[in-house]
Amino acid sequence: MIFLLISLFILAMASVLILLFSRSRKTSSFLFLWSLIAASLLGLCCALSILCQKTATLPVFEQYLRLPGHFPLGEFYISIDALSAFFLLLLFILSLAAGIYGIGYLRDYEGKRNVGVHLALFHWLTIVMVLVLVAKNAVLFLAAWELMTIISYFLVTFYNDNEGVRKAGFIYLVAAHAGFFCLAIMFMVMGAHASSMNFDQMSFVQFSPGLAALLFILAFLGFGVKAGFIPFHIWLPRAHPAAPSYISAILSGVLIKVGIYGLMRVITIIKDFPLWCGIMLLMMAVLSGVGGVLYALSQHEIKKLLAYSTIDNVGIITLGLGTGMIGHAYHQDTVAFIGYAAALLHTFNHAIFKGLLFLSAGSLIHSTHTGEMERMGGLFKLLPWTGHLFLIGSLSICGLPLFNGFISEWLVFRALLEGVFHLDLFGIIFSSLGIVALGLIGGLAAFCFAKAFGIIFLGKYRSGEEHHFVEANLFMRVPMAMLAAICIFGGIFPIYTVLYAFRGAQVITGMQLPEGISSAILIPLLMITKVLMIGVIIFAFLAILRKFLTSHFKGHSRESGSSCRTLAGARDPIQTETWICAYQHVTSRMQYSASSFSKPVLKIFRSILFFKVDTTIPKGYFPGKTKLNSSVKDVSQDLFFRPLFYAIKKLSRILKWIQSGHTQVYVLYILFLLVILLIWKLH
Amino acid sequence: MNTFLHLIILVVFPPLLLGIIGKTKAFFAGKIGPPLLQTYYDLFKLMQKASVYSLTSNWIFKAAPMVCLSAIFAAGILMPIASFKAPVQFAGDLVFFVYLFALARFVTILAALDTGSSFEGMGASREATFGCLSEIAMFLDLTILALLAQKLSLSGIFLGGLASSWFLVGPVLILVVVSLFLLLLVENSRIPIDDPDTHLELTMIHEVMVLDHSGVDLAYIVYGKALKLFILGTLLISVIFTFRFHDHLMDTGFFIIEIMGLAVLIGIIESTMARLRMNKVPYLLLSAFIFSIIGFIVILLRGHS
Amino acid sequence: MNVWLDAILILVIILGLFIVASTRLGTTIQIFAAQSLILGTVPFFMYAHELEFFIVFVSIAAIVLRGFLMPKYLFWAIRHVSVRNEVSPYIGIGATLLLSAASIVGSFLLASKLTFPIKICSDMVIPSSFSLIIMGFILIVGRTKAISQVIGYLVLENGIFLFAILLLKKMPLLVEMGILLDLFIATVVMGIVVNNITDDFNITDTNELTTLKD
Repeated sequence: MIFLLISLFILAMASVLILLFSRSRKTSSFLFLWSLIAASLLGLCCALSILCQKTATLPVFEQYLRLPGHFPLGEFYISIDALSAFFLLLLFILSLAAGIYGIGYLRDYEGKRNVGVHLALFHWLTIVMVLVLVAKNAVLFLAAWELMTIISYFLVTFYNDNEGVRKAGFIYLVAAHAGFFCLAIMFMVMGAHASSMNFDQMSFVQFSPGLAALLFILAFLGFGVKAGFIPFHIWLPRAHPAAPSYISAILSGVLIKVGIYGLMRVITIIKDFPLWCGIMLLMMAVLSGVGGVLYALSQHEIKKLLAYSTIDNVGIITLGLGTGMIGHAYHQDTVAFIGYAAALLHTFNHAIFKGLLFLSAGSLIHSTHTGEMERMGGLFKLLPWTGHLFLIGSLSICGLPLFNGFISEWLVFRALLEGVFHLDLFGIIFSSLGIVALGLIGGLAAFCFAKAFGIIFLGKYRSGEEHHFVEANLFMRVPMAMLAAICIFGGIFPIYTVLYAFRGAQVITGMQLPEGISSAILIPLLMITKVLMIGVIIFAFLAILRKFLTSHFKGHSRESGSSCRTLAGARDPIQTETWICAYQHVTSRMQYSASSFSKPVLKIFRSILFFKVDTTIPKGYFPGKTKLNSSVKDVSQDLFFRPLFYAIKKLSRILKWIQSGHTQVYVLYILFLLVILLIWKLH
Repeated sequence: MNTFLHLIILVVFPPLLLGIIGKTKAFFAGKIGPPLLQTYYDLFKLMQKASVYSLTSNWIFKAAPMVCLSAIFAAGILMPIASFKAPVQFAGDLVFFVYLFALARFVTILAALDTGSSFEGMGASREATFGCLSEIAMFLDLTILALLAQKLSLSGIFLGGLASSWFLVGPVLILVVVSLFLLLLVENSRIPIDDPDTHLELTMIHEVMVLDHSGVDLAYIVYGKALKLFILGTLLISVIFTFRFHDHLMDTGFFIIEIMGLAVLIGIIESTMARLRMNKVPYLLLSAFIFSIIGFIVILLRGHS
Repeated sequence: MNVWLDAILILVIILGLFIVASTRLGTTIQIFAAQSLILGTVPFFMYAHELEFFIVFVSIAAIVLRGFLMPKYLFWAIRHVSVRNEVSPYIGIGATLLLSAASIVGSFLLASKLTFPIKICSDMVIPSSFSLIIMGFILIVGRTKAISQVIGYLVLENGIFLFAILLLKKMPLLVEMGILLDLFIATVVMGIVVNNITDDFNITDTNELTTLKD
């Protein structure tokens, strides 16, 4: 606890100093870097110390701080339990990475924009997010939540000379406040029933099923907007491309997760929900997951693709949460525990690999000055660091073995399979629906990132001659390498992250580790490591065999007598142009493009996505130029929210006559109101 | 000792299956056809050849066949053969099994895109699409089998878990078997989904993805294809023939006969059917999925009523 | 006998799915013939222990009428009208497959909730008949060509026949006469109508039929 307070203090002091020294780039960068490193390390120590507690008694050991004095309606009451500590862990890792990256990224902008204010606001965002995660008083929580929205708005609209960026920021602000509205109502109702605004007082209250359901719906709406559930997700694909890449990494990695944290905290406080709440969460998770990845497939701009992919992964996290809630409603403790643990683990893993992906996408945009995938190609040789790190991020997000994404997806599957075994008919049907949906999401995500990585980094450059691209500088490479190392470590030795997730799940379910958990989860994890090691050994064997074969048979070419082999010389590998079936003039534009790669899948799902291809067929013997455009409509935006906002606008226009602008009319309104009040009182 | 025998069968046997399929197709065509051990000769020949690499590709292209083969082999370690338990088994290894095949497919797709040729891009795109759709049916089938056997590991399901299933739920299990068979055809790119013999871009899904590999890499890929056919074939026949003698010799003998029968069946289908049009393949996969859904519902209702 | 009955009913449902999924009219009629043949043998398996004359009569009548005569008649009709393919149905093949799957699952779930006064030998008979009925409806509603709608109506009749087999003991003559006669008249009427329209307007698209309203 002390560590955390010291780190918050360091951040606050440093931000003030940065503002003072914002003229000089060197000083402000220096202050920012060292304060960030110090604060993050302290915060990580604090979080790890709570998570590594060996206590088996419950409640899990908490530390708290309660300040004397009240501010309006609430008090400053914070405490860290294992759930908060888990999220603090990922917050500090990601802030550290994004902050160091930011210094490297912002080098180009010195003198052009107000970098000092930006860096100071970055520190304040970290402080405020820590407050949201450790707040134990509803008013403190809401105040910190609101500040988080406002500060992140300023960080997102860094390029505020761009019209699109301003619009994206505005939509983000509106969406966040719509969610805040629901949250405020929810906390007021909860506080009224508990007659206190403190979370621990609220958790003693027994909420009736109807009330619990209402609170759940409010929490779902409020936190769901922040977390990016479909259909409230429309701000996400606009805000992420608009923000600078490291801010997108924080947005996607931490801000979204704070929404998930809020939902988990509400579930912890109101323990018993009716069954249909869990089922509804599961269905929305399936919708978010499948819809998110389908929209991601149709995008050709790298950051928008990553934004939709975040929506899809939030769907996977919520799938685990929904399974946990369903298990709890059926009083099946194992199912509930594994479900919550899986949701927590995927939260952590997703933050890490999505942060890595956004940072490497940022380095890509930094080097090539565009985010359009259709223009790129063959960048793996020109930008080796970015390429390799993006590859590690892609392999993790597809959930492939050897990386950490696989472990968390495996854990969600495990929770669903436990559900299939232990629930009744109704529960089995929904669990199987979850299994099938997760399989589909995994397959489509692999498709999406094969496309993203393959089109950008492999093949040949698609827009003419290859320029000389500058690789990312050291400040940008180090944090990406750090995140990649966590991905690989989390994939091969997942035991630590899984244990931390278990501690968090203990808090949510409020109980001990259920019996049989070690044989159900921990031993299989060891076996997975074993199989992966065997796979690596086989790979090494095959590589040595290949080396042996290619070098051993060298020099036998003279005696073999086959003319084409002697023409080629020894049996060294030959390097030549790609075989193209005797086409005469092949250009790099004739490779498969991003639209063509994703067309088969989009065509299969065309009725859901409103997939359209507009083209004019070339005619004649020597056809001229033609063009092709494939597009997908975002259903929630175009069929629901846009008409809704137009309707609201039209309605408001009708009522515009009330605001006439003349002072006399307003005085007349006041007079009318007084008369009406008088008559009502006299009655 | 058991593990050793299991690995021996896993390593040595698969290329024979391709030979049997070739002989069956030759029989239907009235030819003598290539010898049964042809695939072994092919592998041996390929390992002695030099490789040609494209200037556009990098280490991903060179490493992909090895990663693919390692992943498929790791999946084979999880799969019980005849009455030999799998060397590694744990609860939830069903999911790991499917994801290892997904890893193999992913790196092959990356290697295909690495060459910068539109042929490989086309094959990669199609393979990825059909891979997604077949995974949903695969997961549902494995869930049904796990539910029937009340076990969560492949060894637990196939070594005795399903023993009484055919009697309990009866012919409904045929639906699951048909679904698994269609998945076998799709995953191994057999007719009616793809033609493994031709190399025209109209007909290829898997063949065109590996068009550029040569030499030792191609040997690894051909062997990986045989191994994948063997592993998925073992899955299928373990569902059909669930009886075990608990005597290793008899069980292994029966297993070899059963899997050779499966190879003959695949050969018959390849000789008698034509390839489906490419845009009908999603409907075929959808039908496989629907069969497993119907089987699932009937099994659930039978089990709970 | 239960096992064989289950296997036959599964085969009937699968053939129903094939009818719904194919666009070529010739194939559809052939699969329908196979389905009717197999369905005709169901009374044998259901009443294996208590065979009476009229059960055998019903089976043979169903096999001959629906399995041989009707398909022959339909083949003649499509050759006369020269329509071979269902090119543009209202509901696409993927959606039809998913709807049929949903209807099969729904009928199984529904049938498990119903309670019956008499004991039925297999728990798959009611759901199969429901699913055939709904698949027939899907065909009628989702297709444009008149012949496809006739086939949908015939699949619907197959489903009703399967349900009525259960009542064969109690109301024998009524059931068989009702179904077979109804079937026969319906197809004859449709055949005449199709023929006449072909002779007059040379189309069998039901889209055009709506202009006959006034």
